[in-house]
Parts: sequence; structure tokens; C-alpha cells
Amino acid sequence: MKVPFLKPGSQRRRPVAVATFLVVQTLAAVFFVGDALGELLSDADGTHSSFEMLVAVALITGMIFGGMELRRTLERMRTQEAALAVASGALADVIRAQFANWGLTGAEQDVAFLGLKGLDVAEIAEIRGSAQGTVRAQLTKVYAKAGVSNRAQFAALFVEDLLGASLVEPVAKAG
Amino acid sequence: MADPWTSERQAGIAPPDLWDPLVRISHWGIAFIVVMNALFTKGGSPLHLWLGWIGMALLLLRLVWGVLGPVEARFSAFPPSPRAALSHLRGLVSGRAPQYRSHNPAGALMVYAFWVTLAVVIGTGLLRTGGQTPMQAARDAAAVASGDWSVLVTETDGGGESRFGTLPGEVHTVAANLLLILAALHVAGVAVESRAMRRNLVAPMLTGSKRRRG
Ligand code: HEM
Ligand code: HEM
Repeated sequence: MKVPFLKPGSQRRRPVAVATFLVVQTLAAVFFVGDALGELLSDADGTHSSFEMLVAVALITGMIFGGMELRRTLERMRTQEAALAVASGALADVIRAQFANWGLTGAEQDVAFLGLKGLDVAEIAEIRGSAQGTVRAQLTKVYAKAGVSNRAQFAALFVEDLLGASLVEPVAKAG
Repeated sequence: MADPWTSERQAGIAPPDLWDPLVRISHWGIAFIVVMNALFTKGGSPLHLWLGWIGMALLLLRLVWGVLGPVEARFSAFPPSPRAALSHLRGLVSGRAPQYRSHNPAGALMVYAFWVTLAVVIGTGLLRTGGQTPMQAARDAAAVASGDWSVLVTETDGGGESRFGTLPGEVHTVAANLLLILAALHVAGVAVESRAMRRNLVAPMLTGSKRRRG
């Protein structure tokens, strides 16, 4: 599934810009402090050193804020990427976690996943090389464990995730 | 059809698809500077000092980021552990090395070796020049050029050897060559690891264009 209005590329440029700015700030701070220290050591008259202290403190403070801003930008970007991942395929992970939550066996998980993808019983049976009766029984078990009564309800549990509702806890079934 | 289920990211044990920009900028900046200063610039020349100081700033920034940065950039994500490094290498040989959230343990040792050696090179470089910034060195050079030799007199070390004799200069050169050896091992290690894990390690250090599909 494509989500055209959220291009990862364009999102990634912002932290690069913030990081570049932070690097420039660090260079300024290191060179300025180095220069001021050098002067302080060579001619120990304290006339302009208090002003230089002020500038040094300002530069270092700027660095710290730059670092915090970069950290925040990265965290925001990651949250967005996680949401985007759900929309674009990593939904499989969310589904898998939920399946495990319900205590589906390996075979049941595979059948349930194919069912979610829209395959009917005959197709699933063919893919899995098993009898249709087996598949039907497995699906019935899956629905029971998920606390729903048919495939539409089953699929609806995961559509919720796509719409941004809570990710994992549609049905808290004791198991 | 690729297995639609697999994604190590969900379990939090996959290395990043893309290193954060600060790790990338500091990496390629430091790599460029090390190669330039060890091979191409004249030791003690203004360009050498400029690059060296920029390298120092990048290293400082990266070390701060090792505490404040995102999880995979923090020291805690890749603690130095020779034992883990050995077992990782053994795993590579037998084809059963696990995934890590950050640098693998062998790579982590390499990273710390780089940082320590780089600090030694920069520290001895600073000793050698009496801690002068490139600006001060240029100012003094200009003063001498204009006939004011007094700057040479006020320099306690007389502009030649530092107060520690020739030792800093020697350690500086030896450590700089060690950096080059480490770099060769490092690039070889990246190649081996990329092959063994069937994952391009370099792309996440560049633009991460080889994004893994979910
Ligand atoms: C990125 C780190 C650095 C590397 C790889 C590096 C490498 C080297 C090498 C290989 C030499 C010997 C060159 C020759 O014999 O012609 C040298 C000399 C020198 N470097 Fe660096 N350097 C670095 C950083 C620095 C820094 C930060 C400073 C000073 C602040 C510095 C100051 C000097 C000086 C003064 C010499 C002349 C040493 C002498 O002749 O005794 N270097 N450097
Ligand atoms: C003198 C040159 C180099 C130095 C000093 C150097 C140093 C480093 C350091 C310190 C790190 C750790 C990064 C961090 O966490 O901040 C690193 C990682 C890395 N470097 Fe380099 N590097 C050099 C050259 C290269 C080259 C030429 C390549 C490309 C082949 C490369 C590829 C990588 C990769 C892929 C990683 C990440 C490894 C991982 O996934 O764990 N490096 N390098």
C-alpha cells in the first residue's frame, strides 16, 4: 500500500539540516573556546576574558539546544515512521503479535493470515496442500479464539489498527 | 514471495536502516580528515591543524551524542566487550551470528579503538603545537613574516619541540599510522560482515537507500 503524502525522503532532510547546524555550532564553540583559552594562557590579563566567557557560554548553550532539537526531531520522525510502517506492510507484525496474543497455533496463524488477505477456503486449502474441511475447521477455531463469528468481523479488528486506534488489544480473551 | 511475517525491527534487535545524521556526518568527516592528515597534508601545516581541530570538534560531538543521542548511537547500545566480540566472530565463521541493535560487538571494539587512538593523535598534536588554534598559529606566522620575532620568544617551547621533547611528535606519527591500519581492518571488517549477514552495512551510513521491506 502506498501512502503518497508521506515521502520518507523529504522527511529525512530535516534532521540532516538540524545536524549540520549542530556541527557548525560545535565547530564555532570548539574554535572559540580554544582561542580564548590560548589567549588566557599566553597573556594573563583578564580584560576581555569575561566577555569571551559570555560568548563561550552562549555558544555551548546553543550546542545543547541544537542537540536537544535534533533528538526531538529524530524521535518525532520515528513515531511517524512507525505509524507509516503499520500502513505499509509492517502491519503484518502487528497482526502477528495479535495472533500470538490469541494463542493461535502456527498452522492457524498461516491460515488466518491468508484469510485476512482475502483468499477463500478452497484457495487456502490449495496453497497449504490440505483438505478444505481442515481449513474450515482451522478458521472456525481462529474466529473463536479472536472472539468473533465470521471473517468480516475478524478483518474489522485489524482495520481499526490502520485507522489509528489502539494497536494491540481489540479482544482481551482469557485463554 | 518473501515471508510477509519477518521483521526483526518489531522485536527491537535490528540495526538501523539509516544511522542518524550526526553519526553519519561525524563518521565521514572524521574518515576524510584522518585520511587527509595521515597521507596528504604536511604535518604541522595550517591545513593540517585546521583539519585536526575540525576532527577534534567532530569527535567531541560524537562522544556527547554517545550519551544524549538516540538509542542505537549511545555507548550503552554497543558496550566494549572482547568476549562478546570473540563469540560474534566465531558466530560469523559458523554462519550463526545474531543481529544487534547497533554496532556488532567486534565492530564496537573497533569503534572504541578508533576513538582512543584518535584522541591520542589529537592530544599529542595539541601538545606538539602548545594548544594553538589554527587561527593563532596563522596570526603568529603573520607576525613573524612581518618582522615581529617576539612571538617566538614568548613561546616557551621555542616553536620547535614542546616541553615534552620530541615524544609527542613521535607518538603522534605512530598513532596516526595506527589509525590507518585500523581503518584498513575496519573497511575489511565491514565488507566481511556485510557478506556474512547478507546486509549492506554501508548504505545505512550513507543515505539508507537500500531500505528493507517489511
Ligand atoms: C586527524 C588527526 C591527525 C592525523 C591523522 C595526523 C597525522 C599526522 C602525521 C602522519 C604526521 C607526520 C607527518 C610528517 O612527518 O610529515 C603529523 C605531523 C604533525 N601533526 Fe598531525 N595529525 C592529526 C591531527 C593533528 C592535530 C589536531 C594537530 C595539532 C593540533 C597536529 C599537529 C601536527 C604537527 C605539529 C605535526 C608535525 C610533527 C613533527 O614534525 O614532530 N596533528 N600528523
Ligand atoms: C579512516 C577512515 C575511517 C574511520 C576513522 C572510521 C571510523 C568509524 C567509526 C568511529 C565508526 C563508528 C560510528 C559511530 O558510531 O559513530 C564507524 C562505523 C562504520 N564505518 Fe567507518 N571509518 C572509516 C572509514 C570507513 C570507510 C571507508 C567505510 C566504507 C566502506 C566505512 C564504513 C563504516 C560503516 C558501514 C560503519 C557502521 C558499521 C556498523 O554497521 O556497525 N568506514 N567507522
